[in-house]
Amino acid sequence: MNEFIEQRVSLTWQQPKKSYDVVIIGGGGHGLAAAYYLATRHGITNVAVLERSYIGGGNSGRNTTIIRSNYGIPEAVRFYQRSVDLYATLEAETDRWVMHKEKGMIGLAHSEANMRVEKARAAVNTAFGAKTDWIGPDEVKKMCPELDMTGGGHYPVVGAAYHHSGATARHDRVVWAFAEGAMKRGAHVHQRIEVTGLQIAGNRVTGVQTTQGDIAAGAVLCAVGGHVTSVAAMAGLRLPIRTHQLQAFVTNHYERTFAPILSSGPLLFYVSQTARGEMLMGAEIDRQPSYSYRSDYKFLQGCAFRAVTLLPFLRNLQVLRQWTGVCDMSPDYSPIMGQTGVEGFYITTGWGTWGFKAIPASGEQLAAAISTGKTPDLIAPFSLDRFALDRTMADRGSAGTH
Amino acid sequence: MPKLDRFPLTRIVSTPALLDGIQTSTTAIVMRTAPDELFWLGSPAAPVINDPHAIIEHDTSFVGTWLSTQAATAWVSANCEWQLPTTRPVFAQGEVAGLPVKLWIEPRRMLVLVQQPFAADLGERLQ
Amino acid sequence: MTESSQPLKLIIDGQPVPFVKGDSVLVAMLRNQHHPTGGGCLCLGGDCPHCLATIDGVAYVRTCQVPARPGCVVACTHHAHAVPALPQTHHVEPTTNARHQHADVVVIGQGKSGLAAAELARTAGQTVVTLDAAQGQDVIGIYPGAQVVARTTQGMLIVHVRQEIIVATGAAELHPVALGNSLAGLMTARAAQQLQAAGLSLGRIVVINDANRLVRFEGESNVTAVVVRDDQGLEQHVGCDTAVIDLGTTPRNMLHRMAAGLPGVRVSVVGDAATNSDVPNCPAHGLVCHCSQVGVADLQSVWDRGFHELELVKRASLAGTGTCQGGVCLPYVRSFLANKGGTLQPAFTARPLARPITMGEVAAGGHHHVTLRTPLDGVHRAAHAHMERAGGWWRPWNYGDWQAEYWAVREAVSIMDVSTLGKMLISGPDALTLLDRLYPTKVSTIKTGMSRYVLLLDEKGYVLDDGLISKISDTRYTLTFTSGGATTAELWVRDWAESWGLNVRILNQTMSLGAINVTGPLAKELLARAGLEKPPEFLSHVEAHVAGIPCRIFRLSFTGELSYELHHAAVNAPVLWRTLLDLGKSLNIRPHGLEALLKLRLEKGHIIVGQDTDFDSTPRRIHHEWAVKLDKPDFVGKHAVLRTNKVSLDKILCGLSMEGPPPIEGANLTVDGNYAGYVTSATWSPILGKTVMLAWLKLSNDLAPDRVMIDGRPAQRTETPFYDKEGARAKA
Ligand SMILES: Cc1cc2nc3c(=O)[nH]c(=O)nc-3n(C[C@H](O)[C@H](O)[C@H](O)COP(=O)(O)OP(=O)(O)OC[C@H]3O[C@@H](n4cnc5c(N)ncnc54)[C@H](O)[C@@H]3O)c2cc1C
Repeated sequence: MNEFIEQRVSLTWQQPKKSYDVVIIGGGGHGLAAAYYLATRHGITNVAVLERSYIGGGNSGRNTTIIRSNYGIPEAVRFYQRSVDLYATLEAETDRWVMHKEKGMIGLAHSEANMRVEKARAAVNTAFGAKTDWIGPDEVKKMCPELDMTGGGHYPVVGAAYHHSGATARHDRVVWAFAEGAMKRGAHVHQRIEVTGLQIAGNRVTGVQTTQGDIAAGAVLCAVGGHVTSVAAMAGLRLPIRTHQLQAFVTNHYERTFAPILSSGPLLFYVSQTARGEMLMGAEIDRQPSYSYRSDYKFLQGCAFRAVTLLPFLRNLQVLRQWTGVCDMSPDYSPIMGQTGVEGFYITTGWGTWGFKAIPASGEQLAAAISTGKTPDLIAPFSLDRFALDRTMADRGSAGTH
Repeated sequence: MPKLDRFPLTRIVSTPALLDGIQTSTTAIVMRTAPDELFWLGSPAAPVINDPHAIIEHDTSFVGTWLSTQAATAWVSANCEWQLPTTRPVFAQGEVAGLPVKLWIEPRRMLVLVQQPFAADLGERLQ
Repeated sequence: MTESSQPLKLIIDGQPVPFVKGDSVLVAMLRNQHHPTGGGCLCLGGDCPHCLATIDGVAYVRTCQVPARPGCVVACTHHAHAVPALPQTHHVEPTTNARHQHADVVVIGQGKSGLAAAELARTAGQTVVTLDAAQGQDVIGIYPGAQVVARTTQGMLIVHVRQEIIVATGAAELHPVALGNSLAGLMTARAAQQLQAAGLSLGRIVVINDANRLVRFEGESNVTAVVVRDDQGLEQHVGCDTAVIDLGTTPRNMLHRMAAGLPGVRVSVVGDAATNSDVPNCPAHGLVCHCSQVGVADLQSVWDRGFHELELVKRASLAGTGTCQGGVCLPYVRSFLANKGGTLQPAFTARPLARPITMGEVAAGGHHHVTLRTPLDGVHRAAHAHMERAGGWWRPWNYGDWQAEYWAVREAVSIMDVSTLGKMLISGPDALTLLDRLYPTKVSTIKTGMSRYVLLLDEKGYVLDDGLISKISDTRYTLTFTSGGATTAELWVRDWAESWGLNVRILNQTMSLGAINVTGPLAKELLARAGLEKPPEFLSHVEAHVAGIPCRIFRLSFTGELSYELHHAAVNAPVLWRTLLDLGKSLNIRPHGLEALLKLRLEKGHIIVGQDTDFDSTPRRIHHEWAVKLDKPDFVGKHAVLRTNKVSLDKILCGLSMEGPPPIEGANLTVDGNYAGYVTSATWSPILGKTVMLAWLKLSNDLAPDRVMIDGRPAQRTETPFYDKEGARAKA
């Protein structure tokens, strides 16, 4: 018997109705969390989540599961810290094991320039409640004895920013916990229904067209990950989003405990250990925009090469699987949440390579926005119109990975 | 590590049509690096080109080495994703061993060139 | 003793054990009564996870696929949570090498159908590469390109396929699902054949060829009996030492599924791999997925709780996520779900790797990103400079004493290697048009022989880069860019030139030219000693010889002192550098590195694009409106600037100063306890005796506060430059 087999979650499927108060497009973490918080925080349960494939089949089931709040601007630190906090209580709240584990995250510096960036990040993080300390090489080595401190002779470790609340959780289980929680309270989740168009009367959305007929809706939330530009186009919106591939891979079991999350900016590489003991790794997005889900060998080769430079023990672990997601990248590396200018049509996007950690907070805040019609303060800075208003949320601390 | 030598050359930037018309030489190595640029290496000196706007610059930043066909084949096949052209002599360029290289391939040998900033890495990666 | 009579031995769990030439590690183990994982139906075909062991430090290796070698060390204990010794920390070379090959056709699998397919392709005149696991070529993945990647006995092989990928991987034998199916002594029919051929005795054999009759296997750790149902439906115990499983096959089509739909190549599947055989019946008991220890009851459990999609069942039960990636369990999981739901769902996504290999093997052929070296790199290193990566280059951070370097600039003369600057030559009838459209300055007002500091904007009106435009003639200009921005800038300039269809010639000279900045009050004196009689005036440039070396000399200043930038052929850089140092000895010359420069320029309030600017820095926000001429015709970013200028200003980059030591760069600013921005650059200014900074400051009610707090200390907004406001020293 394998202790990691899902034991408790129970999903109940219903027949689709012709009309809902709220239709959520996309059964990823963001869509399902919004349904969950609509039900649990606002009592709104006449809700359907429409998923064209299976729940969690998009990026929410493909990511490297890193949860952190050490972003580069106060607005982002506050927002992600909210999500970190919600994650920390998610198991208690849902009574489901999502394998959440606080591990701490080490952001390595290999040069003076790196050090400057990491120290700056630690300053803004700590000021806004995301405790991050600058630590010296000795302490780094203590936390991660596997590290080759010379970086293979090329990338010596000169120190690191240590982000205390860095954590991981099992992605699928997060998706299921939210799905189950929403279903239990009456929300519908429908798989294998694809939204093919939006019904708009005047400037107001009134429903969706799907592969299984039209469904009327009082409000529609678009939470479709990397496919957002085509769904937003159904509402006549052009988004400042480009879709890029992001890849990851996992090895089989490492016998030791690899405690922290480890990340190196200059080496474009980060790693953590899953609950099952596998080593899970990723790098940065592919520069070329693409909707393709195909992984490539060059990525694997390059990332593995850089990984063994820092962590020689990885050399003897076997790569089990590699995969790819398509990420909705915003120009300022910050998310876009809230109203769109088309009445009743809400959006949550710009999650790029960093949206897993945001699932609870995004769900919570959008549920509030939809139920009250008002944009909560926490996400107000991330509205779509910020681009037109020259109020972008440029976030170097986000910088395009995990 | 093979010793890398300097290969001073002349770079000519002009219109594609004018570059097409340049008389190549049997002794100099002429590499058409782009539609609007060519490298001229060796003697005789590059011919004059009838373009008042042409950029003709002596460039001392290229370094490289001649490899035997055998060594070249081994190195390229270990480090190059793309297929080399088969005619000889021939010019090719692209990424090899993660470096932007220019190759001049003759029947029995191959010249590998990189710009100076890559030289140390080329030396290491040629091993 | 002669070599041939020396018994071949490998080490199993610490014991030397003999083997026979031609044995795989698994056969050698079985020969000596070792069973690698303790049980499960062996296939000897590389499909199942039942022969895994640790070989030479690599865990979870399929021992049936590894030829036994004398001295190879096998441990069967990887599942016993033995903690290996901490790995050493020294540079690790990849464990193997990688090769690339090109072919019209790749045939994977060299059984009957694979051989025939390869032969056919060859006769058609195509170049063919064949790969077969039995010949030591394990295909691990098929990738876009199209690339077929295999681990071979000679290292990694990456085959680039032009026309067709033919999958002829045959069929794998079905494993039994029943109680007791993880006992030792179970093997497939093919495995039994191979073992017998290798001379192993299998003892009493029972052949199972009807799954419907199989009830269970019995035994402690080894199978001792098989229970089957007879024609009357009664259970019969049949004693045995080996249970041979002959339940038919399932197509080995993972690679076909992986490759299907790849653009640019044909993908086909032939032979047994192409058969569309029905899935076997899934019994009610037994282990389905051995890698993750998932039983039929577990499948039932997740099914009952709403996990119905194959992909969801996989994720909830973990079936198919281990070493064999579904090789053994997939047919049964599909059949289980078909029984429950009434439809047979397609197999789950076939992702690489088809067979696990080590990261050391995968890393073969990888390289680090190159950090560029200037023509003076060797010179700096010989001088024991502390080198740092910055903007993609190795640069001297200091030469041991940044303070001395700093004062050499302020009080005497110093040189710095600035070869990293982006440098570009533009020529042609449309050169001026191009630059006038690209840059927000009026390029047409730059006179021949003069230079101008310029910003480069993107379409959003944000600062992309900065640099210098110098006019050589009406149709010829040189441009410089920041060290880190040069590559982007080249693409940017070429892209626009082409989009606009302009008649220009462009040459990127970043790496072709060395550049040395001579700076300090005695710079002119030094250059005079180097033979330069008529140095250029401020913001002009000349061509002249310095120390006998032809240079283009630009007069500008980043340090705030009298400065001359000497651009010269890369090859001459070391000689020029050394000569200048020699000639400057009595002037107390010393070279300076980045560390000193960062302070020098900050005293002058000069920004560094990328450090002091952000993705959204408009000229207005950074107080560079003077660099943008909105009264000239269109230029890149003009519309955006016009639009954003109408919006109220929310933050500015400004100068700050304070007593005491500098805060860290990135420190927060507060006003009345509220966040008000952050420091982008900060230094203790030796010459001013205080800390000077650049910082992003938020406006409130369109006003920028005069005083802010940083780490509990007050700082004062201060006009830049902090030092030499009139610029008298630079213009001297
Ligand atoms: C390799 C990788 C690693 C990552 N690592 C991390 C990490 O470590 N930490 C982190 O915080 N983030 C990480 N991310 C990012 C994170 O996974 C995503 O930002 C997040 O999962 C986005 O969730 P989502 O719900 O918005 O989108 P998704 O999970 O992609 O869900 C969107 C859903 O919409 C469905 N859909 C699309 N179009 C339609 C339609 N027309 N009709 C109906 N349904 C539709 C899709 O099928 C999909 O299921 C990573 C991403 C990848 C790819």
